[in-house]
Amino acid sequence: MRPEQTFFRDPALDRAFGVVMALATEVYVMKERLAALEQALERKGVLEAGALSAEPSPEELAKSAAERDAFVSHLLQNLLGVQQAKGPSG
Amino acid sequence: MSDDRSFVVAQAFLLSAKTYWTRTLYPALREEYEARAQAASRPRNAKEAAALLEDSTLYRYYCWLERHLQRFKYSGRYGLQPWHAQHRERLEKELEPAEAELDPGLEYPPYYTAVDIHQHPGGVWSDPIAGLVYERGARTTTPLAGSRHKDLHERLTAAALERCPAPQRVLDIGCGFGKSTRAFYETLPEAAIEAIDLAAPCLRLAARDAARAKAKQVRFRQMDAARTDYPDASFDLVTSTMLLHEMPPAVVERTLAEARRLLKPGGAMVHLDFLPAADPFHELIHYGHGRRNNEPFMEPLARMGLAETLERLGFRDVEIRPFEEAEGSVDPGYRYWRFPWVLIAARR
Repeated sequence: MRPEQTFFRDPALDRAFGVVMALATEVYVMKERLAALEQALERKGVLEAGALSAEPSPEELAKSAAERDAFVSHLLQNLLGVQQAKGPSG
Repeated sequence: MSDDRSFVVAQAFLLSAKTYWTRTLYPALREEYEARAQAASRPRNAKEAAALLEDSTLYRYYCWLERHLQRFKYSGRYGLQPWHAQHRERLEKELEPAEAELDPGLEYPPYYTAVDIHQHPGGVWSDPIAGLVYERGARTTTPLAGSRHKDLHERLTAAALERCPAPQRVLDIGCGFGKSTRAFYETLPEAAIEAIDLAAPCLRLAARDAARAKAKQVRFRQMDAARTDYPDASFDLVTSTMLLHEMPPAVVERTLAEARRLLKPGGAMVHLDFLPAADPFHELIHYGHGRRNNEPFMEPLARMGLAETLERLGFRDVEIRPFEEAEGSVDPGYRYWRFPWVLIAARR
């Protein structure tokens, strides 16, 4: 494993900005998917206004755990500071 | 694991971020550099340009984004490599039958395997589906070119044919997955086209695409361009596209010498590659790009004295000139980031 390149005086910022960008990607993916879903449901007359705003049940939360873990893993692997493809270090 | 929609949307997000970097951050950095150069003393080389931008926050973010948008593109949850690996079985089937002529005994040179080029994990050679990963990634290498990227290859083909109007035998070295070769076999249906590369996975994709295009006069063969098995004087035209900057200078020199051996007397050699303009800012940006994108031989190519090397090897009519890869890209008012494309041509 080779240490990732750094661009800021404090490498913590390099890693932290990776977290920000990963999160931004997830947010965008989620927003796009949610919009697509809402449109599809509205077209079919399945979704009423405000239906997605209700609190999820404990069963719903348990069901989404694996997806949540994958989300967290993607977000936080940035903190390791290791190159994903081997190249110049430093 | 990611579903196809999320993969495509995440990649679109990354491309949008890269486009912002290209059209907004780069011109802003150029402006900041100019302002600093006017206020202090004007840098005379890339090292001094780097010193001028040393404490620039914008420059740091510019560098960070160039490095890490590419990392996100290839690796991680929505990266090209894991997504393709997830579909491995279907993709490997798509590549069958392999119509490329592969050399199972070929040993990849150490310089080629030491670095994962373009931050593509495993490089373009180690995984059977690497050609497909590379092809997908290359679609967004130059964000502003988009679907016009094909235009670049057509422009190179036109430039080559200006110097060698009706070649009967053409050799495309470092053909990759065959995008450069395609422009030649489509433009020259009567010519015999040979295309060689080190990477078996890329050659398999190139051969599949040529078969789909019903191009029967092209062969894709696995071979080192610095040491081919063709007889002397067997080609009218030898060409490459984005190859030379991927080799250390000693290999560039051996490859050029080999190209000269393969050319018929009077035959033409035409390469499309990158050399920064003689300007400290452009040099800094280009050398930094090479480092950040895992392309360690960008800077050595620019510094090796290519024109002198060509003349020493006995080439004549040596030309190294800026190449307009898309309409207006070399106009003085063009402000966005672009590769410093150059056409390198010579004659035996």
